[in-house]
Amino acid sequence: MTFIKYWSLLKHLTSREIKARYKQSFLGFLWIVLNPFCQMLIMSFVFSHILRISNLGVPYPIFIYAGLLPWIFFQNSLSNAMSNLVENASLVKKVYFPREILILSTLLAKVFDFFLSATVFILLLLYFQVKVSALWPLFLVIFAIQFLFTYGLSLLLSLGNLFYRDVQYLFNLVLTVWFYLTPVLYATEFFPVRYRWIFKFNPMSVFINAYREVILSQGQINWGSLGIGLLLAVVVYVVSFTIFKKMEGTFADVV
Amino acid sequence: MPEDNSVIDFQSVNKFFYLQHQKTLKELVDAVFRRKKTLERVHALKNVSFTVKKGETVGIVGNNGAGKSTLLTMIAGVSSPTSGDVSVTGRISPLIELGAGFHPELTGRENIYLNGVILGIKENEIKNNIGNIIDFSELQLRFIDMPVKHYSSGMYMRLAFSVAVFTNPDILLVDEILAVGDVAFQHKCLDRMEQFKRQGVTIIFVSHNLATVGQFCNRVIYLKQGAVAYDGEVNQGIAIYKSDVHEL
Repeated sequence: MTFIKYWSLLKHLTSREIKARYKQSFLGFLWIVLNPFCQMLIMSFVFSHILRISNLGVPYPIFIYAGLLPWIFFQNSLSNAMSNLVENASLVKKVYFPREILILSTLLAKVFDFFLSATVFILLLLYFQVKVSALWPLFLVIFAIQFLFTYGLSLLLSLGNLFYRDVQYLFNLVLTVWFYLTPVLYATEFFPVRYRWIFKFNPMSVFINAYREVILSQGQINWGSLGIGLLLAVVVYVVSFTIFKKMEGTFADVV
Repeated sequence: MPEDNSVIDFQSVNKFFYLQHQKTLKELVDAVFRRKKTLERVHALKNVSFTVKKGETVGIVGNNGAGKSTLLTMIAGVSSPTSGDVSVTGRISPLIELGAGFHPELTGRENIYLNGVILGIKENEIKNNIGNIIDFSELQLRFIDMPVKHYSSGMYMRLAFSVAVFTNPDILLVDEILAVGDVAFQHKCLDRMEQFKRQGVTIIFVSHNLATVGQFCNRVIYLKQGAVAYDGEVNQGIAIYKSDVHEL
């Protein structure tokens, strides 16, 4: 209901985020595409030429890209959302509108980035002549679940950062560790069996495996673990949203 | 029935908040070791009750830290009371810290839309009024499609004010806005507010400029350390406030 009422606000805040970045730099939108592409090139070089990982079923650049894009969406969303309430302090202090609109607009701008950088992924698929699974449209469902999870976490972290600014620094550290515990660079099969249970409870790992399953037909779709992912996403969202709304009336006092 | 046309109603409102002296972990750890205060409980509003009827122009006066801004944030709905009841009916337009929602990289026109929707105006309304808004701001047309970072502070302010006055509010919250800008534009703003007054818009006016308050308002609420020290006729309220200031 809220979103229908505040639709035009959401739209303009989102386009503010997108336009502002585009206008700030000479290369504009190109950076959004170039950044993950360059990361992928470096990773591909290191892992396929130096560490010689093979037997993934698809070329390594494709394998990495399918994991890297959702990860970059996750990481950029969180780091932007965390500082959002503090950066918009003058609005938070003066004008009422539901504060989650601010967070949501940051995330929507990142969704835009995600799809923009996905164009390069499509070009790579064509270049390597990878056969894409017929189930590929299902990635939208996975993306929706990932979005919910990211949104929930963003609400909680932006709230925390309002009270202590360390939250953003601390969480950036957490993100680094999280990245290595998520199969972006590697496949879960490379991990010792007795540690693999970690991936079951790491929603990001569940999502990234699922993307690879539905797009690159890497094994059967693991509905069970996707179910756990959905459950975790809903729980994180409901808990965060409830706390966020409960605290909303004090934001203006602490910001 | 006087209760029927009340638009702002405060019933025994108390507001506490915690002043956080440390915003980072480093400061916090340091403060704990030195046994300094980490949180300070502030009683910002003390048992405040008042009712504002439709069409009233209420000046809020008081020293810095008396709770004027806190009162405004509660009318605006961004801050909730710790105890007591606040009820506000109608569309509120805060004449906010100028250009709070502006983005320096966006053009004047884009910022009009952005600020407009932030203040709760519908997109269509903005589209229909954009000519008037630009006219009111007195900005030359060549500037309107330029990023606002190239504006002078005067231009910036005029644009922000112009958006705010086109919100068509029921309640207008004015916080020290006329302290900035050149004299001619200040007059224009006051004229526009007089016009609002005649239209029956309720205006809450926070200012240190007692002359303007005396001239413009028909009621004064004097806040002293978070409590209502006087509520009523303008000249008497200002006189009481002035004599309090002189005693200090």
